[in-house]
Amino acid sequence: MTMLQAVKNQRRRSKSNGGGRSVAVDRRICLLTVSTAAFAFLTAPLAAQTADSLAVRFSAMTAVTGYEQAMTDSLLVLLPGSSRDRLGNVTLALGRGAPKRVIYCNLDEIGYAVGNITDDGYITLRRVGGGARLSPLFDQQLEGHRVTVFGRRGAVPGVVAVRSTHLTRGRPTGNEAPFTVDNAYVDVGAASRDEVLALGISLLTPVSLAKRPQRYGNGLLAAPNAGRRAACAALAAAALSKPRVRGTVVVAFTVQSLYADTAGLKTIVHLQGPFTEARMVTVPSKFPETTVETVGLKDVADVTADIVKWIGGSQ
Amino acid sequence: MILALAAILALQDTTRISEAQSVLSQLVESYGVSGMEAPVRATVQRLLPSWAKSETDTAGNVWVRLGQGDGPVVIVAHMDEIGFRVDTINADGTLGLRTRGGFILSLFEAKPALIHTDRADIPGIFLPRDSGLTRRTPPALRVSVGATTRAGAESLGVKVGQTITMPKQYVRLAGTRATGRSFDDRMGCAALILALRTLDRAKLRHPVVFLFSTREEIGLEGAGAAARQLGTSTRRVHAIDTFVSADSPLELQNFAVQKLGAGAVARALDNSSITPPAYVDSLANIARARGIALQIGTTNGGNDGSTFTEFGVVDVPMGWPLRYSHSPVELVDLKDLVSLAELIRAVAEDW
Repeated sequence: MTMLQAVKNQRRRSKSNGGGRSVAVDRRICLLTVSTAAFAFLTAPLAAQTADSLAVRFSAMTAVTGYEQAMTDSLLVLLPGSSRDRLGNVTLALGRGAPKRVIYCNLDEIGYAVGNITDDGYITLRRVGGGARLSPLFDQQLEGHRVTVFGRRGAVPGVVAVRSTHLTRGRPTGNEAPFTVDNAYVDVGAASRDEVLALGISLLTPVSLAKRPQRYGNGLLAAPNAGRRAACAALAAAALSKPRVRGTVVVAFTVQSLYADTAGLKTIVHLQGPFTEARMVTVPSKFPETTVETVGLKDVADVTADIVKWIGGSQ
Repeated sequence: MILALAAILALQDTTRISEAQSVLSQLVESYGVSGMEAPVRATVQRLLPSWAKSETDTAGNVWVRLGQGDGPVVIVAHMDEIGFRVDTINADGTLGLRTRGGFILSLFEAKPALIHTDRADIPGIFLPRDSGLTRRTPPALRVSVGATTRAGAESLGVKVGQTITMPKQYVRLAGTRATGRSFDDRMGCAALILALRTLDRAKLRHPVVFLFSTREEIGLEGAGAAARQLGTSTRRVHAIDTFVSADSPLELQNFAVQKLGAGAVARALDNSSITPPAYVDSLANIARARGIALQIGTTNGGNDGSTFTEFGVVDVPMGWPLRYSHSPVELVDLKDLVSLAELIRAVAEDW
């Protein structure tokens, strides 16, 4: 079977009743597992979902590449009529007819997954995403900071061990190489492997730095992956604004942009394409790939307005 | 019957852990870099039992004096924490910093920042390095409050001399463990407050001073002022401070291996004081008589009590095991706080 045949079969299946039922089941699961943040979305009036507030809220969320479900759960709740494909992308079709275009943001992030659990209750990690081009200081942001372990029974707070300042005194420290993930021991307060497992943590459980977006200065927002999150916030805010639509526009929040050669976007093209035009939403940021990646909230508002124009057919 | 008793004791333990957490969390979430301890002082005063009368001296120390007569036993914990001070406001609006206390600088690089003022805190960020240096330790850190000029930073309320930290939060972990920044020495402050809440003042054998000191992290300055004021009259001093533990996968195991959750620790030998062995034995006897868990060990660091020793006063420091000292994720076991508070009460009443 060729790839085109496979894509056509996939599209036929997704149009069948079985496909629809699958989506409905997914929705029930997502409603059961909806996060606090998503609950806030549900209870806040849609008019209040400005690009600003969405940028802050999205920046507090975690979507380790390949493990984006919690964030896509929230998007499904936020965007009535949206659906999730089998890879995890969330899409919302606006308008009808030709031309058929796609506008998307990448919502995933470089993160970590549980690689091992030691007998005395420490968790060791492997990085997910990144690769050779990553800053040699990237992992160092973990050292001595709080992380969230997204276990099956809910989010579990933990910390990444660091040498005590007092006990390094008198020992040579010199011009040390940066901290790497190979030295990361996550301490969740457990004293044994069984205590860790009892918290719903197992191999492959996603892990990220604890997120605490910081607004500062005149309309600046600092957070890990602030640029990506701000782009998705602008796209969501534009979609929620009931824009005028020329033809059909597929609004897409893609997963796995950092893995398998943008598997998420390619999936959307194969399942919902062809498209006459594709636009990736970006928001300029400073200090990328740091905990304080910074965006200007005015830029987020400007990008939102530009997306609304683009959806309506203006360049 | 035994089962019923065990259930009652477990319930009591839960209540004590709960009270310990309530006191500790409020102290941990107060900010007080050395020399700017006012918010912590206010929290301490709010948490003291209503009968306790406190005084604040010119060094900023808080004194709670109990009992009558001469020759007080001094029990001291420090209120301050490590951090930074605004040293310069640069022409590009960034802030140059001076450290207050010793810590690993890279733990603050590229993290959120708070500039503490008399009014609301000003948010900012510790800037990531821009030099391309790929070694662990960054160049001197600077803070941005989002301004691009000196006047812009000043218009936000920034002034030279203000203190800077990063936002912090008390977070409960699995079991009875908890994490946050400045457990050193808010655990000590919490232990003093919890001991005061249960103390039987009629049982005191000597006058006792509960002292909450300032500027420990930059040279034991507050305690030093109190030691000079009391001179040779002090009967004995107990510094209540961190026992930095090697109970961690990253530490050498040649000393300081006392375990989290196994109780208070007699800090019998550190970098500033040595407790005479007979006094360590006396402390162990007092703990044993009351059934209080006590470990005995040696670790690094100095303690406030050492400022009293030049006046011929014996320092018997006590602490609790702490992982990851002077980091944003110091980690403790609340059982050790309960144990330490009981030990302080026993020392005040029985020794």
